[in-house]
Amino acid sequence: MLHDVIPQEAAAPDAPAKPRGRAIVVTSGKGGVGKTTTTANVGAALAAAGASVVLVDADVGLRNLDIVMGLEARVRHHVLDVLENKATLDEALVTDKRVPQLKLLAAAQTREKDDVDTAAFRALIDSLRSRFDYVLIDCPAGIEMGFANAIVGADEAIVVCTPEVSAVRDADRVVGLLGDTRKVHLIVNRLRPELVRKGKMLSVEDVNAILRLPLLGIIADAPDVIVSTNKGEPVALDAASPVGSAYRAIAERISGARTDAPAIPRERSFFDKLFGSR
Amino acid sequence: MSSVRGRGRNLEIAVDRALAAAAEELHEHFADRPDFYRGSRAVANLGALEPSADELAAFRDALAGHGVALDGVRGGETVAPVAAELQLAYLGTTDGDVAVLPRHRPAREVRLSDQARSLVADFAGAREDMVRRRRDGGGVHAGGAAVAMAGVAIPPPARMVPVGLSTLYHRGTLRGGQAMHNLGNLVVIGDVNPGAELVASGDIVVFGALRGVAHAGAQGDRNARVIALELEPTQLRIATVIATSSERGKQRGPEHASIVGDRIVVVPFADADLRKESV
Amino acid sequence: MAARRIVVTSGKGGVGKTTTTANVGAALAQRGHRVVLVDADIGLRNLDLVLGVEKRIVFDLVEVVEGRCQLRQALIKDKRIENLAILPAAQTRDKTAVSELQFADVVTQLGELCDYVLIDCPAGIEHGFRNAIAGATEAVVVTTPEVSAIRDADRVIGKLRERGLSLRVIVNRIRPEMVRSGDMLSVDDVTDILSAELLGIVPDDAEIIDTTNRGEPVVLNVESRLAAIYTKIARRLEGEVVPFTALNPPGFFERIFGKAG
Repeated sequence: MLHDVIPQEAAAPDAPAKPRGRAIVVTSGKGGVGKTTTTANVGAALAAAGASVVLVDADVGLRNLDIVMGLEARVRHHVLDVLENKATLDEALVTDKRVPQLKLLAAAQTREKDDVDTAAFRALIDSLRSRFDYVLIDCPAGIEMGFANAIVGADEAIVVCTPEVSAVRDADRVVGLLGDTRKVHLIVNRLRPELVRKGKMLSVEDVNAILRLPLLGIIADAPDVIVSTNKGEPVALDAASPVGSAYRAIAERISGARTDAPAIPRERSFFDKLFGSR
Repeated sequence: MSSVRGRGRNLEIAVDRALAAAAEELHEHFADRPDFYRGSRAVANLGALEPSADELAAFRDALAGHGVALDGVRGGETVAPVAAELQLAYLGTTDGDVAVLPRHRPAREVRLSDQARSLVADFAGAREDMVRRRRDGGGVHAGGAAVAMAGVAIPPPARMVPVGLSTLYHRGTLRGGQAMHNLGNLVVIGDVNPGAELVASGDIVVFGALRGVAHAGAQGDRNARVIALELEPTQLRIATVIATSSERGKQRGPEHASIVGDRIVVVPFADADLRKESV
Repeated sequence: MAARRIVVTSGKGGVGKTTTTANVGAALAQRGHRVVLVDADIGLRNLDLVLGVEKRIVFDLVEVVEGRCQLRQALIKDKRIENLAILPAAQTRDKTAVSELQFADVVTQLGELCDYVLIDCPAGIEHGFRNAIAGATEAVVVTTPEVSAIRDADRVIGKLRERGLSLRVIVNRIRPEMVRSGDMLSVDDVTDILSAELLGIVPDDAEIIDTTNRGEPVVLNVESRLAAIYTKIARRLEGEVVPFTALNPPGFFERIFGKAG
C-alpha cells in the first residue's frame, strides 16, 4: 500500500515547516568602505545572540572574509568546489573558533568571477537558507559580474557607505541596481563626528538625503577595527569595544530584538584621545 | 522669398513666387511659433503674380489652417476679379517694395526678477579664466561664480525611446547610473540623483530634487523648459546650450529654466513665463 | 614622442587609486608635463568628482569609443593646473560597453597628445581591470598596510607580471604610530611580501577626505605635507632617485592639540 513508501519527512504533516532563513547581501559599490568587516561582525553578533549564521564570501579571486574572521588556515574547500561538486557543503563550511553557530563558506582565491555559474550559486544560497537562520553574502566591490552573482538569491540587502561623495555616488548606483523588490537598509561606516562638526566631512543626513534608505546603524571610525581585522578577531565579540557594540545593535535591529533608530556616535573626548581609550 | 510683416495687429504677406510654393514656405514659418499668429488678419501682396481663383483659394485655406484670416490682396489689375470671386478685398497695386523683416519677432525686452540667476558661458574659456585668476590673485577653487557653456553641439543621445510625441511619466526616484530618454516630454515624480540622466525632446519636469543631468529640447527645440521643485542639477542642457551652477544647498523653492538669448536662465517658478515661446 | 602610459591599480577597492591618480597626475602637470588622466571605471566613475570637474562633463570615454564625438571634445581641461586634462568615464553604462582593444586604442591616441597618460583602474580583477591594463605599459600598485589589501595587491601584481608590465608600489594611509606599536605592518613588511619596488609612502591624513569632497587635488595646497609627498612621487616617476622621508609619529603635543592628520 502507499503508506509503506512515504518517506520519513512527510510522515508528520502537522509539524510546522522550519521557516526559511534570511539571505542578506552586504554591498556598497565602492570598495574599501567596510563590507567584509561588516559581514563578519554582523554575522558574529547574530550568532553570538543565538542564531545559526553562515557567511558566504562572493569575492572570487580576491577573498578576504576568511582573513577578517581569522579562519584562513582552516579553509580546505571553497564555494566553487561546492558548485562544481568537487566537495560537499559540509566539507567546505568552516566553523568559527569562538562561536560554533557561525560558519564560513570561503571564496576561491585562484579563480575568476566569471567561473561562477549564476543559477548554481542561487541554488546554493537557497539550500543554505534551509539550513541556517541567516545567510550573509559578502559582495565584491563594483557592479560587474561578481556583484550580479552575489545579489542573486538574496531578497534583502545592506548597503554600507562611508560619508564621502564617491562612496555615496557608488552606493546610489548600487541601490538602483538592487531594484524595487529587495528590502534595502543602510549602514553608515567610518563616521568622524569631529570632522562633520568642522564641516570637513559629510554628515549622516547628507548621505541619506541622496540614498534615502532606512538606517540600520552608524559606526564611528576607530583604530581598533583595523587591529581586529589584522588579527582576525571580529570586534563584535569584544564586549568593551564601542564599535563592537554598534555592530551588536545592528544585529538586534536586523533580528527585530530592537527597533530604535541608530544614534550618531559622540565625538571622542579629550581624555579618550589623551589616554588612548577606544 | 516670401515675407511676413506686421502692421499693427494685421499682417502683410509679400509673395514672390507661385502661391503653392509660397504657402509651403510660410507653413514652416508659422509652424515655428503657431500661437503667435493664430487669430491674425492678413493682406497678401501678390506683386506681379496672376493666380487663378483656385490657386488663391488654396492659399487662403492654407493661411486659415494656421489661424490667419486672409482679408484682402494687393496686386496687378488681373487680380481684382479673382479676389472678388473669393470675396476678398482688392486693395490696389503694391505701394513700393515691401521690406523683408527678420524672421523672429522684434526683440522683446526681457525683465528678469531680482532672484533670477544668469549662468555665464565659461567652458571654452577655461584657459582665459585661469589666466585671469592668476592675474587677479584669486583662489584656486572655482566657487561662487556660476558656469555655463554655450554653443557646444551635443549629438542626440544614442537611445531615444520611440513612443511618439507623448509625455513619459515616472513615479519613483532615479538613482545614479539610470537614464530616461523620451521623444516628447518627461515627468518624474521623485528625485533625480547625481549620476542619473534625463533626456527629452520636449520639456522636463521633476517633482522632487533634480540633482543629475537633464537635457530638454534634445533635438533642438530651444523653447523647451526644465522645471523642478529643487533645481540643483549637475548640469542642465536645453537644445545646444549647457549650463551648470556651483551654488549648493540653499532653499530656493520650485524653479524654471529656459533659454533667453543664448543662455539658460533660471527663475523662481512663480515668475516663470510659461507661454509657448519666449525666445 | 609618445607618452608613458601608466595604470594605477590595486585589486582591493578603497585604498586610494583614484586619489593617487589625481594627485600624482596633478603633480606631474605642475612640473611641466602634459598629463591626461583616464577614468576606466565605467558605471562607477569617480575621477571627475575627485578633480571637481563633474559638472563640466559633456562627452565621455564610451562616446569616444562609439564614435559619437572626437577624442579632443571629450577631454576636460583642468582650470587650476595647466597641462592637466581628464577623460571621464560614462556613468549610465557598464564596463562591457568597451572592449580591451577599444580601450587600448583610445589610450594610444591619447599618447600622441601628451607626455603621461595615467589610467585610473576600477577595483577588482574583472572586465574593467582588464580594460584598464590593456592600454598601459607600466603600473603603479596602490596598497594600504593591511593584510587584505596586501593579499589583493599580490594577486594583481601576479596578473600585471603575466602581461609584462613594469610596476612599482605606493603604500598608502600608513600610520606611523601604529607601525611603532606593532598594530600595523611597516613599509618594509609590505614591500618584502610583495617583492616589488617602492614608489612612494603616503601617510594617513584627514586632509585627503576634505579635499576629495571639495574636488581639489591636495597638491594645489603648496603647504600641505601630502603635496610634497606626491611631488616626490612624481620626481621618482621621472626617474630621479629621491630618498624616502622618515615618517615620524605625531608627537605628544601634536596629538593633544590635534595638529597631525
